Amino acid sequence: MRWTWGRLVASAAGVAEWLTAAGVRPGDVCAIVQRHHPAFHPLYLGVCAAGAIPSVLAYPNARLHPEKFASGLSGMARHSGLDFVLTEKALAPVISPLVGGPGSSIRGLLFPVEDGWAPADPAGLRPARAADDPCLLQHSSGTTGLQKAVVLSHRAVLDHVARYAEAVRLDAAADRIVSWLPLYHDMGLIATYQMALAEGVPTVQLDPFEWVTAPSLLLEAISAERGTLTWLPNFAFAFLADRVRDGDLEGVSLGTMRLWVNCSEPVRADSHARFLRRFAPRGVRPETLAACYAMAETTFAATQTAPGRPAKTLAVDRGALAEGAVEPARAERAARICVSSGAPIGGCTLRVVDADRRPLPSGRVGELAIASESLFDGYRNRPEDTARVLSGRWYYSGDLGFEHEGEYYVIGRKKDLIIVAGNNLYPEDIEDEVGRVPGVLPGRVVAFGVEDAARGTEQVQVVAETELAGGPERRRLEDEIVRAAMRLDVTVARVHLVPPRWLIKSSSGKPSRSANRERIVSGALEQPERGVA
Amino acid sequence: MISERLKRVILRELELEEFPLTADTVAADVPGWDSLSHVRVIDAVEAEFQLRFRSLEILRVRSVGDLQRLIDARQLGRTA
Repeated sequence: MRWTWGRLVASAAGVAEWLTAAGVRPGDVCAIVQRHHPAFHPLYLGVCAAGAIPSVLAYPNARLHPEKFASGLSGMARHSGLDFVLTEKALAPVISPLVGGPGSSIRGLLFPVEDGWAPADPAGLRPARAADDPCLLQHSSGTTGLQKAVVLSHRAVLDHVARYAEAVRLDAAADRIVSWLPLYHDMGLIATYQMALAEGVPTVQLDPFEWVTAPSLLLEAISAERGTLTWLPNFAFAFLADRVRDGDLEGVSLGTMRLWVNCSEPVRADSHARFLRRFAPRGVRPETLAACYAMAETTFAATQTAPGRPAKTLAVDRGALAEGAVEPARAERAARICVSSGAPIGGCTLRVVDADRRPLPSGRVGELAIASESLFDGYRNRPEDTARVLSGRWYYSGDLGFEHEGEYYVIGRKKDLIIVAGNNLYPEDIEDEVGRVPGVLPGRVVAFGVEDAARGTEQVQVVAETELAGGPERRRLEDEIVRAAMRLDVTVARVHLVPPRWLIKSSSGKPSRSANRERIVSGALEQPERGVA
Repeated sequence: MISERLKRVILRELELEEFPLTADTVAADVPGWDSLSHVRVIDAVEAEFQLRFRSLEILRVRSVGDLQRLIDARQLGRTA
């Protein structure tokens, strides 16, 4: 289905009238929990047109336990003050109990796509909203109340997409975006959708579930629509290179592509190389492999590589890097190939800081801090979390990286977040769920991410203390731990069962994720282990 | 009815020692069978049975039973 501007705006005007009649008022937060559907587009714009604030949330997939989904939504309602949930009737049994419940801000559950609306006259589409009013809420992932909602103003979003359009040299007359990204993620929502809307660039939106099942769909769509731009998390470069079959590429031409932007996970040189080897015969050129460093807190991008030349790479000495210094690698064996995420985009300044937030010189590894004219207004209703990361005009990202010749290289994280295939996972959520499995010693669990070079992303590993000694019992416990994480839609790649008091504690007395991760990765575990995925 | 051969290839690809796969089993029920590993499972099935599925056929597969029926239909087509 194709939307033209005229039909889209008239349909959005109809949504705005429909929502207003249903009781939605300007300033209300409307969560949209909707599967990929053409009607999403007028629905999203209709929420804005009604003067309300959209927040696009992930539709729960079959793996996520309904109770976990409900508890995640309830956490968001508690912290972000969701007023309405716009969803599908299939989710009514799960969401209805949250409407009007004690402590819940949710006032109504609406099914706009199934109940339908009539297009209306767009002339009435000018709600009295100021540039600094909230435009949208971008939620982080998570299920146990850890989710934070980034508040972005109309000004931040509009200024940002204009700045980012300059950085990628967007040409409304010639460019065409093709994307499989989910729109609950800032990369999908801002880069492939809001920017396309604001700049008048056609955008082709594929169903993420269909893409992951049949990855060649992206390439077929690019070929058929003569696409020029796409944004992908790093794993997708490796996934496409490994999983698209020759038979699916018959007649496919990728020569129209100007930029394949790698974003949302650390950029891995090997993934780019594999992608290029696989698709160069179909027209992919090295200078089209680009990278970007982005986060919801700065609306989207902080840096971008220059269009027309490949992302720079730097072979640095691993040992020196671990000590915080960037030095050229003397031997290939000791080299880590770091990929540049480019220079700051207009309106953005970056610096690398030490543990006391003092600026570090070029070539030193530290936390990346960003000052941006499109900085968020804080996490909604979470002043303490906001104060922790926002100081003056600087946002402290928790990401580790360095600057070299004016470009920024992101190499890791100070925080314990796990990023699997572009999805952010909180170890706390996994530990909480695994910690309740009978046989696991309460509170004696850590979850962390370990580099998965083959897939170009991270994999989740769990270490749990147990008193169980028998082989069959331990195997059963491993299975139960994997199943516990499945309820959160998390795939645990390895379970390490360890005896009581094995886990290293941090100064707070809790098991330390980084120290125990190091102990596992360095091979200090002498317990039998088993791969499960 | 799910063939032992199909069960074996799925379990091997997911590195599972045992799992009661039935016609009604969906990927979400099986440890390790997530959206990222799904394409890997399909590749392994294709290699085992020396078949090639089209993207649309793969998109229609909802359960292990659907996958078995797809294999059966193809193998029938090949011997016919």
